[in-house]
Amino acid sequence: MLRIGVDVGGTFTDVTALDAATGRFHIHKLPSTTDDQSVAVAEGIREVLRHAGAEPGDVEYLGHGTTVATNTVLESDGALTTLVTTAGLRDVLEIGRQQRPDLYDMDADKAPPLVPRALVHAVVERMSAEGKVLVPLDEDDVAAALDGVGQAEPEAVAVCFLHSYRNADHELEVADRLRSALPRVYVCASAEVAPVFREFERFSTTVVNAYVGPKINRYMSRLAERIRATGVPVEPRVIGSSGGMMSLDSVSRHPVTTLLSGPSAGVVAASHVAGQAGLSNLITFDMGGTSTDVCLVRDGGALVSSQRRINHRPVRTPSLDIHTVGAGGGSVARVDPGGALEVGPGSAGSQPGPAAYGRGGTEPTVTDANVLRGWLNPEFILGGELAVDYAAAERAVDGVARAMEADRSVAARGIGRIAAANMAGAVRKVSVEAGEDPRGYALVAFGGAGPLHAVEVAREVGMSTVLVPPNPGTLCALGLLVTDIRTEFAKAVLEDADVRDPDKLNEMLHEVHASARGWLASEAPSGADTKITGEAKLRYARQNFELSVPLPQRVIDAARFDSDAVAGIVEAFHEQHTRSYGFAHRDARVQIVEVQLTAAAVVDKPELPAVPEGTEPGDALLGRRRVDFDETGPVDTPVYDRTGLRAGTVLPGPAIVEQLDTTTVVTPAATARVDRHGNLVIEVEQR
Amino acid sequence: MKTLDPITVQVIGASLVTAAEEMGAVLRRASYSTNIKERSDCSTALFDEHGRLVAQAENMPIHMGSMTGLIDSLVASGLTVRPEDVFITNDPYHGGGTHLPDITMVKPVFADGELIGYSADIAHHSDIGGRVPGSNAGDSNSLFQEGLRVPLVKFATADGVEQAPLAFVELNSRLPQERRGDMLAQLAAVEVGERRLREVHRRYGRETVRAATAHLLDHSRKRLAAALREVPDGTYRFHDLMDPTEGPATEIAVALTVDGERVALDFAGTGPQSPVGINVVRPALEATVYYALKAVLDPGIPPNGGFFDAVEIVAPPGSIVNPDEPAPVTARTDTCQRVADAVLGALAAAVPERVPAASHSTVTYVTFSGESDGDYFVYPEVVAGGGGARPTKDGLDAVQVHITNSSNLPIEALEQEYPLLVDVYELIPDSGGAGTHRGGLGVRRDVRVLGDGAEFSAHADRQATRPWGLRGGGDGSPGRFVVNPGRDDEHRLPGGRVSGVQLRQGDVLRVESPGSGGFGDPASRSAAQVRDDLRNGLVTEQAARDLYGFRSAD
Repeated sequence: MLRIGVDVGGTFTDVTALDAATGRFHIHKLPSTTDDQSVAVAEGIREVLRHAGAEPGDVEYLGHGTTVATNTVLESDGALTTLVTTAGLRDVLEIGRQQRPDLYDMDADKAPPLVPRALVHAVVERMSAEGKVLVPLDEDDVAAALDGVGQAEPEAVAVCFLHSYRNADHELEVADRLRSALPRVYVCASAEVAPVFREFERFSTTVVNAYVGPKINRYMSRLAERIRATGVPVEPRVIGSSGGMMSLDSVSRHPVTTLLSGPSAGVVAASHVAGQAGLSNLITFDMGGTSTDVCLVRDGGALVSSQRRINHRPVRTPSLDIHTVGAGGGSVARVDPGGALEVGPGSAGSQPGPAAYGRGGTEPTVTDANVLRGWLNPEFILGGELAVDYAAAERAVDGVARAMEADRSVAARGIGRIAAANMAGAVRKVSVEAGEDPRGYALVAFGGAGPLHAVEVAREVGMSTVLVPPNPGTLCALGLLVTDIRTEFAKAVLEDADVRDPDKLNEMLHEVHASARGWLASEAPSGADTKITGEAKLRYARQNFELSVPLPQRVIDAARFDSDAVAGIVEAFHEQHTRSYGFAHRDARVQIVEVQLTAAAVVDKPELPAVPEGTEPGDALLGRRRVDFDETGPVDTPVYDRTGLRAGTVLPGPAIVEQLDTTTVVTPAATARVDRHGNLVIEVEQR
Repeated sequence: MKTLDPITVQVIGASLVTAAEEMGAVLRRASYSTNIKERSDCSTALFDEHGRLVAQAENMPIHMGSMTGLIDSLVASGLTVRPEDVFITNDPYHGGGTHLPDITMVKPVFADGELIGYSADIAHHSDIGGRVPGSNAGDSNSLFQEGLRVPLVKFATADGVEQAPLAFVELNSRLPQERRGDMLAQLAAVEVGERRLREVHRRYGRETVRAATAHLLDHSRKRLAAALREVPDGTYRFHDLMDPTEGPATEIAVALTVDGERVALDFAGTGPQSPVGINVVRPALEATVYYALKAVLDPGIPPNGGFFDAVEIVAPPGSIVNPDEPAPVTARTDTCQRVADAVLGALAAAVPERVPAASHSTVTYVTFSGESDGDYFVYPEVVAGGGGARPTKDGLDAVQVHITNSSNLPIEALEQEYPLLVDVYELIPDSGGAGTHRGGLGVRRDVRVLGDGAEFSAHADRQATRPWGLRGGGDGSPGRFVVNPGRDDEHRLPGGRVSGVQLRQGDVLRVESPGSGGFGDPASRSAAQVRDDLRNGLVTEQAARDLYGFRSAD
């Protein structure tokens, strides 16, 4: 039997198949088909089956990571969307949080709302913050809105009323009537998509959901069809932004939850690989051509945030808390008017790409600097597929060197150091915002360029361990094989945590619990190990910021708070507040702002294959070249072939390890050891 | 200056900026009040041992460089400074920020017994006493009405937090719990800055950090110089008006001289200091000038002492931009915004292709206060307006401009917390000045009183004057406050600076913020753009016809 993961990226579609009987992995990479991602997905499945000598009927599990939703938003290519909202508040999306996009750049623009103002229909109705009807739904307005929406001939409608997280009656009534009147239009209400409080963020999430909905639905039905055509008998599951697998049906109802589908698979895989190596506190470091994704994993679990933005638009559904910086292999270096060297955020992208790629690029990039420093192979990269244009890299870096009035080697080293400093800043940021000290964490490097820079970034931040998995370039596809079936259900509560009267709390807990149970009943494979866990977000009354506290399992199992349980989570909140902020206000009123339950069905995680043992690099030594490091300057450095390395081998720095999908740089201040799964575990000396 | 490889300089610079940002993250996470946590009305900074600003993470341009005076005051105070000491002040006349609600805190940083720098932060506290809730009324007539004035005192020592200053502030604030939480958060932030500064020193060595600091300051100076070389030499003048309070409107006049790589601003001709709190102390004037220069000349100039020291500013004593102590200052932001307009207006003559028309350029600051369930409540809000039309495109609708960038409070959050209801929160059609590029729109916010009554106080400007257009662009509409719009008892409040307006249950207070000026002749605006604006309700049919000559057949 075969388990297959297919991850679609901007350039490549990666397929990883695991033969459950032998424990063997089969990996295949093919160009992505940008017009319709499902074409390459189906093709990749066929090829990996051929590779593995298996039949379509052997496939028992198919996991998929997709960028359709993300691209739709980034390329402003979504559905014609209308919005029905509370009268008086038609500009919630236009006004947003009223902040300008850049403090000093007066040319910067706000992201235009996904619904043009002319397509916003206001309806007279009003709920209070307690969920009481202040103004009933105005029949004439509803009729007019239905009419107006119909005339605009939209593909999608978002219905967003004030305080609907508290009382969704009006919203759901209007949504139902729209569905009856316009059966082919994608309709969603904010209480269905994200029943949480703060109107701009909820409305924005709902509108993004509507905007990507029709396209995602079309994609998912094409995908299902093409996969059926391959003969594979299982329906694919898709990884969501929070790192859980969902059915196509779940995705169709909440397409907004796939915005971070691809990157989250990488984080899940990195946690899995690191976990098998005995590391549970880590920061993932996924560096590609244009950007670097960084995410903090604590006790084996990636941090989840509901405060994310996509293309400046807030999305309030739980997502892995991945922080992205515009620093990648293609980031361009320039000298600013004050004479200082800057790297990024501009990028040479994949076309023309770095000068060293010989595709006409002339601007100096991080990759060009790496070629000149000997960090990358000066003749061939991408496993020999691409001949390096060394002279072009020299010319590009010389431009910067002249402006710096420095040698070429100084400029190349400078580009690397500044890029590393930028990425180190991102690693610090995710740690600090989580209230953690990165020095207690390991850096797990993947993506095409992560292993090149991970050691120097770790050293800059003060982290002592770097882990480079065996296949850093296709880690996301592996992630799809080890991701549990899981989703979150959040609901605004906004009640005092009153031990005397838990009834109101219980009403809401019960509702969320029923949703979670219902979802598991339809999504979990029969016999799967399922569980519901949860947390509550609390705050002191009038504080405008929440802290999460885990809900006791007995509360979740019974779907019921008793007085002791309420007192318990209040105490846990005081303690958490003290841990985070150094103080607690024990006499202040405490509010439960939100309850979030996570429903999960655990999938079997494959043991990663062991690699043969051997203490000597032997045949793996490819040769030597001069490599320029900050600490030492250029030194003669051994270059190894990753595939020839044996478990137990120790490679003292400096060393270069090359493989098809990446290059690992072990600086003089570091020592790499190959563990039993073939990971490079690199100890970094601290300054 | 020791020679040092330029990359190390930048890596050190990046570590210090990251450290300042980390301080900001800690401050926001740990703070208690909405003002700091949600609106980020706070900034953090690291200084060298001479008190020169090296790295700042400012969320509001008005904080740019505004902590510099604090270090000078500390040195001048003659107070003994021991390792682990932390100082606070909020006195705007002696290094404590730009008005009383801004509490500034600084910790001198020592390594091996030697002073290596300062870690500082500033945060806007939601109530620091004084005659009105929120300590932010525009019509106070002396600093003493505006709140508690905290001189430069020790807030903490090696033995921990000094209880006396904390108790003083708590006792004088209507929201003592918040004050305590916010001040402890400020302390946590300066301690993180201290730790990071020490780490950088340990790693690179004192001499290297010193040399790098000199280079970093010099780099900012060079970037300013490079930008100034592109500005034609000359003296450029501009003047603008504040809304009148008592007597004639106050003029803001500036003469900006560019001479090669030098820039000097002289505010001679600016009107006298005001009897109400719209006076601008030196740090606020400096921050505003730095903001305007940075925005127009080079938005990427790192805000540090090298940049600041290269700008020459002269302001006549006793004027609204250089008031005599103890003139009231709390509503200084409106004057700062007008100063920004004046400096931008002067620059528009020098580099016309880079400067937008006037923005709403006020801080429409309103507070509703009262009692609810026996608890005192204060709800402060800033309502954004139009951003000036730009030389190549329309202005932004509903944004904060210039010296501030605070966010609004979500309606769902405020209705949870206060006995108030927001009936309307929308853009105001036609409020943006007509032009080839249209000015951004102002905002209307109708707030209804649900409880037994509430008191309304505010300060705002551009209710008597209009944001100017450029190059034939029309002016934006002014702002206003109206009680019970559309009812028999509808009345407009006399101006932008009011306090103690009593509202009864059911009353509605309408806040309208100004729009902004347009850029270029409206006749040159494309019919397609006018049609879009019309369809989206941003201009009315009448305005399309009258101002743009638009006929529906176009």
